[in-house]
Amino acid sequence: MDGFGIRIEGLRKRYGEGDTVVDALKEVNMTVAPGEVVGLIGPSGSGKTTLLKCLGAVIEPTAGRMTLGDEVIYDDGWKISDLKALRRDRIGFVFQAPYLIPFLDVTDNIALLPMLAGRPNGAARQRALELLEALDVGHRARAEPSQLSGGEQQRVAIARALANQPPVILADEPTAPLDSERALAVIRILNRMARQYDTAVIVVTHDEKIIPTFKRIYHIRDGTTREEAGEGREV
Amino acid sequence: MISLAGRDILHSWGKFVFTGVGLGLLIGATLTMAGVYRGMVDDAQVLLANSGADIWVVQQDTLGPYAEPSSLRDDAYRAVLGMPGVARAANVTYLNMQVQQGDRDVRVMVVGFEPGQPGEPGYLVAGRRITRGHYEAVADVRTGFRLGDRIRIRRHDYTMVGLTRRMVSSGGDPMVFIPLRDAQEAQFLKDNDAIVNERARTAANPSLNRPGVPGLLEAIQASQTSSRSVNAVLVQVQPGQDAEAVAAPIRRWKHLEAYTRAQMEEILVAKLIATSAKQISMFLVILAVVSAAIVAFIIYTMTLGKIREIAVLKLIGTRSRTIAGMILQQALGLGFIGFVVGKISSALWAPFFPKYVLLLPADAVRSFIAVMIICAIASTLAIRAALRVDPATAIGG
Amino acid sequence: MKANLPSRRTGLALLGIVLLAAFLFVVARTGPFAPTRVTVTEVKSGNVAPALFGIGTVEARRAYLIGPTAAGRVLRVAVDVGEAVKAGQLLAEMDPVDLDQRVGALDASIARAASAAAAADAQRQDALARRELAALNAKRYVDLGGQKFVSPSVVEAKQQEQTSAEAAASAAEANLAAARQDATRLRAEREGLRRQRQNIRLVAPADGVVTARDAEPGSTVVAGQAVVRLVDPASLWLRVRFDQGRSAGLAAGLPAEIALRSRPGRPLAGKVQRLELLGDSVTEERIAQIAFEQMPEGIAIGELAEVTLRLPAGKAGLVLPNASLRRHGGETGVWVVRDGTLRFTPLRSGAADLEGNVEVFDGLQAGDRVVVHSEAELSADSRIRVVDAIVGQGK
Repeated sequence: MDGFGIRIEGLRKRYGEGDTVVDALKEVNMTVAPGEVVGLIGPSGSGKTTLLKCLGAVIEPTAGRMTLGDEVIYDDGWKISDLKALRRDRIGFVFQAPYLIPFLDVTDNIALLPMLAGRPNGAARQRALELLEALDVGHRARAEPSQLSGGEQQRVAIARALANQPPVILADEPTAPLDSERALAVIRILNRMARQYDTAVIVVTHDEKIIPTFKRIYHIRDGTTREEAGEGREV
Repeated sequence: MISLAGRDILHSWGKFVFTGVGLGLLIGATLTMAGVYRGMVDDAQVLLANSGADIWVVQQDTLGPYAEPSSLRDDAYRAVLGMPGVARAANVTYLNMQVQQGDRDVRVMVVGFEPGQPGEPGYLVAGRRITRGHYEAVADVRTGFRLGDRIRIRRHDYTMVGLTRRMVSSGGDPMVFIPLRDAQEAQFLKDNDAIVNERARTAANPSLNRPGVPGLLEAIQASQTSSRSVNAVLVQVQPGQDAEAVAAPIRRWKHLEAYTRAQMEEILVAKLIATSAKQISMFLVILAVVSAAIVAFIIYTMTLGKIREIAVLKLIGTRSRTIAGMILQQALGLGFIGFVVGKISSALWAPFFPKYVLLLPADAVRSFIAVMIICAIASTLAIRAALRVDPATAIGG
Repeated sequence: MKANLPSRRTGLALLGIVLLAAFLFVVARTGPFAPTRVTVTEVKSGNVAPALFGIGTVEARRAYLIGPTAAGRVLRVAVDVGEAVKAGQLLAEMDPVDLDQRVGALDASIARAASAAAAADAQRQDALARRELAALNAKRYVDLGGQKFVSPSVVEAKQQEQTSAEAAASAAEANLAAARQDATRLRAEREGLRRQRQNIRLVAPADGVVTARDAEPGSTVVAGQAVVRLVDPASLWLRVRFDQGRSAGLAAGLPAEIALRSRPGRPLAGKVQRLELLGDSVTEERIAQIAFEQMPEGIAIGELAEVTLRLPAGKAGLVLPNASLRRHGGETGVWVVRDGTLRFTPLRSGAADLEGNVEVFDGLQAGDRVVVHSEAELSADSRIRVVDAIVGQGK
């Protein structure tokens, strides 16, 4: 895919009014290319969760500009009316915990997104099975989330994020509860998927184990991002 | 698209089914309550239907014979028989009393009737009709009597020769039918001690027991024990005659009160059981409110238990309509299970009630609709809670 | 929760099916969709032996009220309730007051009358003697006068003397008769008083048992009021009332079965002795007297009895239990079951016996199946289910 996966210019977010004003984001600039995995690192209260929520289109930034693929989605205001469809079709989410829907089996957890997008059940399940195969959990396709191990659950969560082939995946501390081996495995998968599906991946983390794996890292502190090169260690 | 509600129910079916059964028992209680009310109305109506009368002739200015005491001379029926439009007329007496059945007391209504005339039980479930003019009885099965039993009513023993069903007083007491002459005696004669005391009292009265007039005392005492009264005359009008048109001249010329079937129903249903009906309807309202509250709490708790999943669903772009639909479907499903269980349970326990419980299909349909509406309304609480969930809570925390 | 999905689905489906089946069963078996249970019987030909049933009380055919014929005070009562008495036995006595004294006075009068008669007799003897003397004298003077010894006037005087003496004799005769009649009158009077004295002794007119002692010594009773009541225990019978509507065939001579209240299990034999012409128009009953074939021991007057009269059986016809007769649309008839559907057949009923069998005419044939018992009132479109018995048949 040409152009940018996601590009953020001068994004600002201010909470509250008058005396209680908090500028959570002051100047955020980010660019992530398709197939690239970048890290977003910062201490608590640095504004990384606020940034993630803005990127995930669940809160509205105060100013700035966001471009997804080749479409400007935010320019001092949303340029897209249906944010739900935006989240569903064009952004993949991976959370700290897998947050799978407990009453759906593994396949339907993934197929739910294409179904919500209006794809027929058969095609949606087909897509889900493909993704599960790609993530080496095809053998658990009929299992329920509660029957999976933590690593398997996280892989299913990644598969779900990929279900609608979004141009960008937002991963919020995806390795926090995992030991270093499994954490590295998740990063490995994310890298592989990013390449395989041409997806821009932003991994928000402060996990020391995985920071060395990023080629590029955005540090965020007091609502301002700073780009620097990472070690880019192979995993 | 898959049914999220169905999948959720399938997933936590144990909780769902048991909650549904619990709700169902509550709905069963509600249905039974309605059945109790219907049973009361039906008791009043079968009382009228079973008497087979078109007109009830009773003492002037009374609401007799069921709602108020009424007393007529027992030859009044002859005068009534002579009125235009009257096909059949028969004396009847009603007497509420306690009779001994085995080791227990049963409250019954003793009906004195003339065999072959209006007032006689229309059908039997066992045994035969009364063939002797005295000391035979037919009883409702609810009295607990069986064929061949002996039953003591006041001063005489009666043999149970037939059993009938659904023959009850307006108060729901089962009936015992005995020949009119015996019933008159039972109703107006006193017990032995009272008779003896009454005789002694009369004998002690010097103006009634005069030495110079032999036989006077005996004559007075005989006249004291004779009974020549009945409670009502049941009238059947000739085919094609309007009951009101027949009743009007009886009222006017015979100086008796005459009620048609419609008026009698008004007296029984509107006057006799009005308070009980209000009582029951109050109870029904409370039960409905309690059911609604329970459904609301259950659905609300179930939704709160899924708040994280709902946030995730919203974050990944599920529409509010889909989420609301899921909760509504679950509430309706719960209501449906509850209704089915309630209907079954109420039908199962209804026969064990001491009084008649009438479960009407129309009531069942109505209550089904009500349950569904109540469940839908109750689910709005949960739906509101679900819609207020911020998808952002899935991120970060 | 750990069960795998397919088996849980089957379990749930099974649960659903069970619930639904129970629901349908409940809907079909209760309420208006449920069929009415009935019992049926075949119309049989046979004959009913009609019987009449009546209630009576034990009464005495002959009862005696014993009392004085005139007002008076009771002196003593010699018998008590329950005592058996013989004809002529003294039961009670009224106070005679002055009766005995009056008898004494009369006795004295009678004695005096006898004395008077004796005096009259003596006077008569004297008169007779004088008459004889006068007759002799007269005869002598008549002879002397014939020979002209005395003057005719002397003869006439002697003849007149004789006539006087005859008259005096007649008078003395009459006096005697009067004195005797006086004595007779007084005797008769005394006899009358003696009878009266007897009459205040109340004696039994016939053998019997005392049933009541209505007055005690010292109490005053009016003429006709009873002091003692007697009945003849051999004359006990039953006064039985039969409902007018069921009294057809009632006749003297019918054999009867009597169940006394004190011994309902042991019926006694009896016979209709008499049928009263007068019925009771108020109670609409006829009255018959029924005698025991053999007088039972220890029977009490006023005891209640149930009497069953068996009439000779009528001609053979169709017979049904009376529970099958219903009224529908102003007519009496039966519900005939044919191929599972109901049809109302009006008919006339005839003789009935006490066991509940009724003879019927019109509209039916032997072998027709008719509804006897039913759970509810039937109509032509009722759904029915034929069962052996709707409730337990009891003892």
